[in-house]
Order: sequence, then C-alpha cells, then structure tokens
Amino acid sequence: MKKIAPFIFLGLAVLGLVLILTGCEDGRNDSALNPQTGAGGSMARFAITGNTLYIVTKQSLEVYDIENGTNPVKSVKKDMGVGIETIFPYRDNLYIGAMDGMYIFNNINPRDPKLQSKYQHIQSCDPVVVQGKYAYVTLRNGVSCRPQNTASSLDVVDVSNPTAPQMVHTQRMTSPYGLGVSGSKLFVCEGPIGLTVLDISDPAKPVFKKTMGDLPAYDIIVRDKHLIVTGEKGLFQYKHDDADNIEFLSKIPVL
Amino acid sequence: MNNLLRLFFLVAIVSSCITDSDDRFERFSFDGTGYRPIYTTEEDMAKIAVIDAQPLSKPGKIYVLDPYLFINESGKGIHIIDNLDPKNPKNISFISIAGNYDMAAKGKYLYADNLTNLVVFDISDPKLPKLTKTVPNAVPVNNYPPFNNVYFECVESKKGIVTGWEKVPMAKRPNCSR
Repeated sequence: MKKIAPFIFLGLAVLGLVLILTGCEDGRNDSALNPQTGAGGSMARFAITGNTLYIVTKQSLEVYDIENGTNPVKSVKKDMGVGIETIFPYRDNLYIGAMDGMYIFNNINPRDPKLQSKYQHIQSCDPVVVQGKYAYVTLRNGVSCRPQNTASSLDVVDVSNPTAPQMVHTQRMTSPYGLGVSGSKLFVCEGPIGLTVLDISDPAKPVFKKTMGDLPAYDIIVRDKHLIVTGEKGLFQYKHDDADNIEFLSKIPVL
Repeated sequence: MNNLLRLFFLVAIVSSCITDSDDRFERFSFDGTGYRPIYTTEEDMAKIAVIDAQPLSKPGKIYVLDPYLFINESGKGIHIIDNLDPKNPKNISFISIAGNYDMAAKGKYLYADNLTNLVVFDISDPKLPKLTKTVPNAVPVNNYPPFNNVYFECVESKKGIVTGWEKVPMAKRPNCSR
C-alpha cells in the first residue's frame, strides 16, 4: 500500500492539471468571438458568452443558461454590493463596473463565476473595457455618481493578475460615459462634449489625440476599424485607421 | 453565562437590522428629501408590441449581432437596424417594451429587460420579432432604494411592483430607512 500511494498522488495531480488546462481551454472557446453571439458596449448590463447570459442588476450578478435559447434557466445568483452598473466579458473573466469599484469574476466555469478581486476607488460611475493585460475604467462625477468629488478620470489598471489588479495610470477626463478599445486606439464617450480619441501605442499610457465635439456620445462599440456610436443626436458610424483618420460612414439622426 | 451573552449579541445584531418606525432618535439626519417608490402594474409591464420602424428619440445602449444593430430607446424599447452596409443602415422595426434599457442577442434570440422581467424574442424575421418567453423577476428591484443612509417611503405591495426610486423633497421624515 505504501508503495502505490505516491503513484495515486501523482496520478491525481496529473488528472487535476489536465482538468485545469482543459477548463481554461473551454473558457477561451466560450469567450472567443463566436459568429453567432453579438457584442455590446461598455455600458451594458447584459452580456452573453457561449451559452451563458449574464445580467447585472443594481445589486447582483444573475447567471442564466441559454443552451436552449428560448428558455433561459437561472443557474446562479451572486449577491453583490450596491450600485452595480456594467458588465464586460473578456477572455476568462467578467469585469463588473460598480459605483465603488470594479469586480473581477473568473468565468472558466461560465455557470458559476468566481470572484477574483475588487479594485476599489472613490465613488463614481464606471464602465470598463479590457484589452490585453490592461483594463480601462472611466470614473465620472455627477449628481448620482460621485457627488463628493469634482474630478472625472480615466484609470488604467493592470489586470494580468486578476486577483491583484494594480492601477498604473490615471488622467483627467471631462465627462466620460461608455468607452471602446481597438488596437492602438481608445475611444471615450464624453456625453454632450463629444467623442475623445486617445492613442494607446503604449497601452499603459493613453495619450490624448482629440475630441470630436460635433459627436455627442453615450455608448460605443468598436469592432476592429469600425465605430458605432450613439448619443443625443442619433446613431453614427465611422471607420478609423492607424494614421488617425476617422472617416464618416453614416448616421441615423434623432428626429 | 456564555450562552446568555451569545443570545444577547444575537438579539442585538438582529434587532439592529429591523427598520423601526417608532424610532425616536435618527440614525442619521433627515435632510428634507427621501426616496419614493415608482410603482408599475403588471398590466402596464406586459405591454409589449412590435411596430413599424420608429425614428430615434433618446437612443441609449447599442448591441451588434451581424448584420443587425439593436439600439435601445431609453425606457421604451428596441430599434432594429439592418446594418449589412454600414454606409446605408436601414431602420426596419421597433419592439415597444416598457422599461427597457438593455439587451443581448445570440443566434435567433434577443434577450431584453422589461422592468423586472427578462423577455426573449425570436428574431429569425427581424421585421417581425416574436415574444417567446417572459421570465418574471429576473432583474429584481429590492423593496428599498439602492443607497445606504437614506430615508424612503415604505413599499405598499398592493400598489404594484416597485420598478424604480425617485428622490423627492419630503415635508416629514418617512418611516423607512436603511
């Protein structure tokens, strides 16, 4: 018996390792762009990855299995603090924006996400997007968002270790709402002020390029070179390139 | 003795959670404002209709499922846009949904919030989405406002479902607080 014990132990370890590795693989597949699944902006409270629908309410994360598309089945509810605002799935994690910070849940098991950490800051409203190892979080002051403070900002948070997010950069913004990221460009909706374009060739240090003042912006979806923006004047679509050109495609105006 | 002490703490902890309307002292000061519940009847909530394309009025969040674009009309419903050619998007239909702000879609299904309900539409024909399922209380709203240290009017369930809270001036300190 004594002789086989180490082998059992080793066998279990290998089995565990295999399980962990395949688990990660599944997670990737789930989060990878699926032609069948759509994409939302950073302001969204609804998100779908694989066969799972996530809904953030003001105080909880609700998880639904939608394998049978017409019949969502609740798999779990995670009670959270107050003031939950947005959800952004990226790779194996869910980034949840709240009035007092950003929660990171691991969704390797999509039906039962596990809390990894909470990045806390001063009370504010804060959608988040993620690219590579960095999360971009906007903090907006305002009546219901950040009453005690006057400054709005854009924070860059290193999330390469989801259990220990680290802020690496912060800069002033005027009035940030939704944001979108693609390659070396970060786009921040600034409500009535317009759409602000930042260069993130160095992803940890966004550099202000310009604000398109004629484009009031609330939510944005960036897909490669294609920008889809909504704001008080309507829906606007643009194409951008690496040389900072932004070409107007179309609009559906507010009437 | 030890058990007695435990019992005492248990009672103390439990009673600290109770909202006491006879509270003589204020846990925090009343500033002349409080939260009032916004009620919606189940009837109003169930009003969902697919109608012809509508002009955008207060566009909110967006969602993409190629070749379609979904644009939320704040609190009112969802515009469905055929965006096969982004240079020439076509507004094709509108789903009128009470209290709608959010949506997500996969395959032929569109998921949306309808106040506290989750509703599912079959969008195989995006000109004529069909409501296929309503999941009640999927986006629960608590019977208290989502803030701490606030006063609010106590919820009366006979008035309907609480679908939101508004901060209003109040002459008298309301009976509920948290």
